[in-house]
Amino acid sequence: MKKFLAVLLSMILALSLTACGGGGGDSQTSGGTDDKPTESKPDESQPADGTSGDTEAKTIKVGLICIGDENDQGYTYNFIRGKEAATEALAANGIIVDWVVKWNVREDVSCEDANIELADEGCDLIINNSFGFEPFMLKVAPDYPEIEFIACTNQASWGDNLENTHNAFANIYEGRYLAGVVAGMKLQQMIDEGTISADEAVIGYVGAFSFAEVISGFTAYFLGARSVCPSVSMKVQFVGSWSDATEEANAASALADMGCVMISQHSDNTTPATTAEAKGVFHTGYNNDMISVAPGASLISTRIDWAPYFEYAITSVANGESFDQDWCHGMDMGAVVMTGLNEAIAAPGTAEKLAEVEEQIRSGKLQVFDTSTFTVNGGETLTSAFALDTDGDFTPDSEEAVFDGAFHESHFQSAPYFALSIDGIDWLNTAFG
Amino acid sequence: MNHEKKTPLIRLAKRDGMEGWKIWCIRCGAVLFALLLGALVMGLVGANPFTAYGAMVSGALGKKSAIRQTVKIAVPLLGCALAIAPCFKMRFWNIGAEGQITAGAIAASYFALFWADRLPAPVLLTVMGVAGAVGGGFWALIPAFFKARWNTNETLFTLMMNYIVIGVVQWLQGGPWEGRKGSQIIPQFDEAACLPRVFGIHCGWIIVLVLVVFMHIYMNYTKHGYEISVIGDSVNTARYAGMNVGWVMMRTMFLSGAISGIVGFIVASGANNTLYDGVAGGVGFTSITVAWLSQLNAFAMVGISVLLAVLSKGAETLQTRMAVPASISDIITGILLFCMLGCEFFIHYRLIFRKKKEARNG
Repeated sequence: MKKFLAVLLSMILALSLTACGGGGGDSQTSGGTDDKPTESKPDESQPADGTSGDTEAKTIKVGLICIGDENDQGYTYNFIRGKEAATEALAANGIIVDWVVKWNVREDVSCEDANIELADEGCDLIINNSFGFEPFMLKVAPDYPEIEFIACTNQASWGDNLENTHNAFANIYEGRYLAGVVAGMKLQQMIDEGTISADEAVIGYVGAFSFAEVISGFTAYFLGARSVCPSVSMKVQFVGSWSDATEEANAASALADMGCVMISQHSDNTTPATTAEAKGVFHTGYNNDMISVAPGASLISTRIDWAPYFEYAITSVANGESFDQDWCHGMDMGAVVMTGLNEAIAAPGTAEKLAEVEEQIRSGKLQVFDTSTFTVNGGETLTSAFALDTDGDFTPDSEEAVFDGAFHESHFQSAPYFALSIDGIDWLNTAFG
Repeated sequence: MNHEKKTPLIRLAKRDGMEGWKIWCIRCGAVLFALLLGALVMGLVGANPFTAYGAMVSGALGKKSAIRQTVKIAVPLLGCALAIAPCFKMRFWNIGAEGQITAGAIAASYFALFWADRLPAPVLLTVMGVAGAVGGGFWALIPAFFKARWNTNETLFTLMMNYIVIGVVQWLQGGPWEGRKGSQIIPQFDEAACLPRVFGIHCGWIIVLVLVVFMHIYMNYTKHGYEISVIGDSVNTARYAGMNVGWVMMRTMFLSGAISGIVGFIVASGANNTLYDGVAGGVGFTSITVAWLSQLNAFAMVGISVLLAVLSKGAETLQTRMAVPASISDIITGILLFCMLGCEFFIHYRLIFRKKKEARNG
């Protein structure tokens, strides 16, 4: 027995030595973990700021709850890019952001726990990045009136009677329209060169679900394409998942087999791009630049840039000001951006056309959902459509969205609500989950 | 000579009657050993172990709201450990508590979703609790019946039953009970269907504390409890004494499932205010650890479940505060549990080394 205790003790001693060794070493390595570099960035730039401007440097603790992590190279990665850009920009204004990030949080009660956890850690602002997080955030927000809560891409804040909850989205349909212009120019070039006939200009669209967010996106895309290629038509295949690499590839493959010569997508993976490349058709993407994975197919992508919103919200919190409960901007604020154009395969003159249309959108001269550019129900002009979905049952129940000759998307609330089926777009199926 | 050579390097011998202080020395040593191993892991990812353990403790107990969260984690662990204790005492390996919790949660959620406007809150909550008990009990009764009737393997059977019922919840989430179309989420319960709060925590903690007392009495001072321990020691003795073993098994499993079902009701109504496929969230398995560590003693379970809750909440804070990967927190929790369970081995067995045999005997 004594011997056994002695062995145990010596093991403990040996271990404590190694543990201390580890403990001693961590002061050098503590900056080496994955997200530390970003977090220490403001610290590095801080002294420079302090000496030159000597403005009152404020530290704001911001919690960010993510559905995934940066490895998805899509949805969450896009938030991380926004986070990093905002941190840098704010540091220049004397605001230091201390980020606390929770990765891979599920859309269930663990999201509620994550919100409580971050609130207890002393965050001034807590950002929830996924649509399904909002109901759980709303259970926590009333208990912490001094903390501001944001649910990105969601829609309850303007009507939940809470002062400290916020929603944000971007007018991504503007980016879709521009991507459509790029696609349309390519199709028109192919028609002009005789590669395809005018009625073979068919776009195949891989959509996640038959929700307004997706419908709004592909309708804008189609209208963009038709503005430069009048004979274009479109088929939409829904895969019933935001992220299912195999199903997305299958859908893209099926669309190409049906004669689609241009593929686009509203789903998280790059497989539609690689499938388009394999099938010898063209592609435009979403969330991320996909040229690297499909150099012979991917023309351009569009994505939301969250940095302008993060800057706006964090600056407001730093200054103790209230900020919009329902924020939605597009190209006017740089919240929607285009990734680099693949000049090698894009139609000649695309860059100039893009700049021109972008300017028109920015200035408000061009309305994406101009009712003179599309018809519904086999030829009718859209004269009225309700906008808002106040009870969350996916049926609109108030507010006229059509006025001044256009359907005003994201005008009454940040979350998209254009859910109409317009002529020229063929829905191959529907998927509501 | 030949015989000597074939003696293995290390042999095991059962030992009994170790003094109490030695037992506790081994247990404390194991915890210490686990903490040191954990420190090593933290050192490897570049976190200071002292700060890290500090963060874990203060994250779990440092604030009122933190304590509330910790208790919220401890409640289902304790309840479920109480539920499986009689089964394990009987040597009936019920590892289906996960499914029984879920079955109870489904039954309770049915009333929460569709009867909330028809019943006053106290009646509704009672009905939900009873429905949860019946649902969980029924789910546990199925493998017990097969075991009693055809002597099927209860370990596999109860395990398989988990996946079925979790699949049912997934179907309900995306199908008939789905709230907003496409959301895959069942709506939040009506206020009336949520357990009221006492000291800021849903009153499930009171229910499980009552269950602790109940289970202590049931196991130690009732005929049922006696029958359970006799069957646990020897099924043949029980038969010889004239006990209907199959009947006792089914009765005990129903009770076990019923308590798990009540836990399911507490979690769905008190903590989550809704139903989703992760309602049990591994509690059915972790509570096996709780039950073993407390050696099926109902009062010891209170302490052990709180300890595990502190670890779990602390690990969460550790991840938040020190920006270490979430898996590091899991590893540290795993090391601690492994050492705590593993040390029981040294309490019940001793190692005999080949060469040192004489020295030991001396």
